[in-house]
Amino acid sequence: MLFSSISFLYHFLPVVIVVYLIAPRFLKNTVLLLSSLVFYYWGEPKYTLLMITSIALGYFGGIIIEKSKKHSALWLGVFVSANLCLLGYFKYMDFFISTVNSVLKTDLPLLQIALPVGISFYTFQSLSYLVDVHRGTVPAQKNPIDLGAYIAMFPQLVAGPIVRYSDIAVQLKSRTHSLDMFSRGVGSFASGLAKKVLVANLLGELVSKCTDASAQSVLGFWLYAVSYTLQIYFDFSGYSDMAIGLGRIFGFEFMENFNYPYISRSITEFWRRWHISLGSWFRDYVYIPLGGNRVKPFRHILNIIAVWALTGMWHGASGVFILWGLYFAALLILEKFFLLKYLKKSKILSHVYVLLLVTMGFVIFNAKNLPDALNTFGGMAGAGGIPLVSAESLYYLRSYCVIILVAIIASTPAPKLIYKKLCKNSAVNALMSVAEPAVQVIILIISTSYLVDGSFNPFLYFRF
Amino acid sequence: MISAGKLKSVLSVFLFAAVIFSFWLWALLKPDDAYSNSERRGLAQFPTLSFSTLMSGEFMDQFEDYSLDQFPIRDTFRTIKAKTAYSILRMKDNNGIYFDKNGYVSKLDYPVKEPMLQYAADKFSYIYENYLQGMNIYFSIVPDKNYFMDGLKPDYDDIVDYMLKRTEYMTYIDIFGQLDLSCYYKTDTHWRQEKLIPVADKILTEMGAEPTGDFTENILPLPFYGVYKGQSALDLEPDTITYLTNDDINSAEVTSYNTGAPLPGVVYNMDKASGLDPYEMFLSGGDPLIVIENPNAETDRELIVFRDSFGSSIAPLFIGSYKTVTLVDIRYMPSSALDSFIDFSNQDVLFLYSTLLLNSSLGLR
Repeated sequence: MLFSSISFLYHFLPVVIVVYLIAPRFLKNTVLLLSSLVFYYWGEPKYTLLMITSIALGYFGGIIIEKSKKHSALWLGVFVSANLCLLGYFKYMDFFISTVNSVLKTDLPLLQIALPVGISFYTFQSLSYLVDVHRGTVPAQKNPIDLGAYIAMFPQLVAGPIVRYSDIAVQLKSRTHSLDMFSRGVGSFASGLAKKVLVANLLGELVSKCTDASAQSVLGFWLYAVSYTLQIYFDFSGYSDMAIGLGRIFGFEFMENFNYPYISRSITEFWRRWHISLGSWFRDYVYIPLGGNRVKPFRHILNIIAVWALTGMWHGASGVFILWGLYFAALLILEKFFLLKYLKKSKILSHVYVLLLVTMGFVIFNAKNLPDALNTFGGMAGAGGIPLVSAESLYYLRSYCVIILVAIIASTPAPKLIYKKLCKNSAVNALMSVAEPAVQVIILIISTSYLVDGSFNPFLYFRF
Repeated sequence: MISAGKLKSVLSVFLFAAVIFSFWLWALLKPDDAYSNSERRGLAQFPTLSFSTLMSGEFMDQFEDYSLDQFPIRDTFRTIKAKTAYSILRMKDNNGIYFDKNGYVSKLDYPVKEPMLQYAADKFSYIYENYLQGMNIYFSIVPDKNYFMDGLKPDYDDIVDYMLKRTEYMTYIDIFGQLDLSCYYKTDTHWRQEKLIPVADKILTEMGAEPTGDFTENILPLPFYGVYKGQSALDLEPDTITYLTNDDINSAEVTSYNTGAPLPGVVYNMDKASGLDPYEMFLSGGDPLIVIENPNAETDRELIVFRDSFGSSIAPLFIGSYKTVTLVDIRYMPSSALDSFIDFSNQDVLFLYSTLLLNSSLGLR
């Protein structure tokens, strides 16, 4: 079930809110767990058992790791391996078999396993919990309902942010529900819904049209690359905002997952602002344990390559994603040892540099394979004698120019800064106290109209 | 006095809750609709709830469609979306529907789909090889109104060239020059019968038949909202249907084979004129086989027209020039069964198809 669907907005959510609000405090996590399992079952009936298995592994793993102090590391290895085996089997087995087939020239049949939605997200949450228990950062959760509610919690179940158990352990036990928090939740949810339905989906339509274009042109390739770069940001950050908003409605504060990544002045900064929960997960559970930057330069480079190859693989079981991860590894290494000091010298050039390389990165990300990505790069550079523009690409540019402009402006902090500045005036602030809720409800109505009309509504990060 | 922050919180929660809870209850209590008049399609009904549909996920998949189709005031929401797309986001089209500055509405039909053209050409070749060898065969392509509008359109020369190269056994009659945008309804796909006399004359003359005679114009006293009215979800001005009559048309004897057996029909069906799609008043709309006899004919010549819906409104203009006009729509009958119903001998044969159908021809059987 998508947050941006009629079935979620007007059937699932009202029921869950009512049941949650009338449930006594001690049953609220039970309501959350059960509704989360229903939410998951709705989209993935056959994999709900897998989800329950993941919860069970987390629950028993945490308790065993905590109790067996001497063999804590061994048990951590066992339960981490068990989680990784599930992830490996369901996500990477066919990739592994096809790699073996191509290297060894064998003909092993693929298992054709459908990817369980959100498995990368909830597996990483379980792993962080087990590691944190082993490190003694958090005590093992003795209540299976509470741990189940953490791992399966529907607001962040299928697309993050990857919430650390340590961040919400206290909230799981006791959290406050207030009108202010509910209201801030509504605000984040409405903002995410608009990002997803009114921006990302429309840009997604444009991406599809450019991909299916019958007449190739340089403009068409650039439209494709730019609109995909914007789409993936609004799609993913929109979903994260909705998750954060829903979390607040149910009394949880999740970490922000995006912080205007496209205003970055280096790729290093970009990755501090993009999918923050994943970046910090890899930093804390892979990069630092490998030695981070407190090792010799060669080892440091190897650490970066390892982390980014894994980051690429986390996004998908294909060579393209590994290539994408290594592309960013190469850029980060270049910046760390050479480029960063030059990037600080020119504000404009550093922005252009980031936007260009990030756009190229997402071209790789969305490519079927390397030749496909190279073909797009070639098209963007005008290779093959293709015309600069075509009637088709001009039509799409004219048709989508407003939404592209809106997306560009909304991907910067400018609207927020203007809003804050305006609110310093007490009259404007008073006006905004009425206008902001009105805008939220208008967004809800317009988004509903786009959903009812059955428009394009994929969700890119569901495949991870 | 309530603070600004508190007021914002209260309003925010109240309005959000009011919308999601009221539409939830409304959706629960509202009786399900069976059909959408504006979209001209049946609406999804509540799916079968059983252990197996729940386990397979079939129930959930179908419920998604059901929740969209049965959402309260669905048409109003579609209008909100259309107005947002056109007026706020300044998009050129919404779901492919776009407007000309003169108020004409159309649907993008882009790009040229060569496999579709090939499929149509193959069907025509099959009919020629099995039934029509040695007969006088003509081919005319009806440009859809996108040709005259300022939208993203396929290369119509490519469509015509592609088809002509594969239908060399037919004599092509070019009618593009006899048409302009005013020959089409503003809110519908189709062309206006009262504007087709030059087109009919061109076709008849090139087939060596007598051109059309005089007609009386009759205006249907009902507003005509074409197919794009519902698809656009906007409040459009209606068109007016004008239909032509003369002695030959008035005395024509129509036989329809809609059910397989011959049944008496009419040239202009006034029941259909007040129905969901008033354009269906022309020869009662979709029909696999219609035979029109002209008892006043001063000739023994007969005409077979292979056609799509554009043929329904122009066919009455051919009646005066032939003794019999047979209309065949191979969307509704298989090509392999044609000789069970039609005795092919020395009739004139006209293939009259719109670019819309040629570019989306999988419905041809």
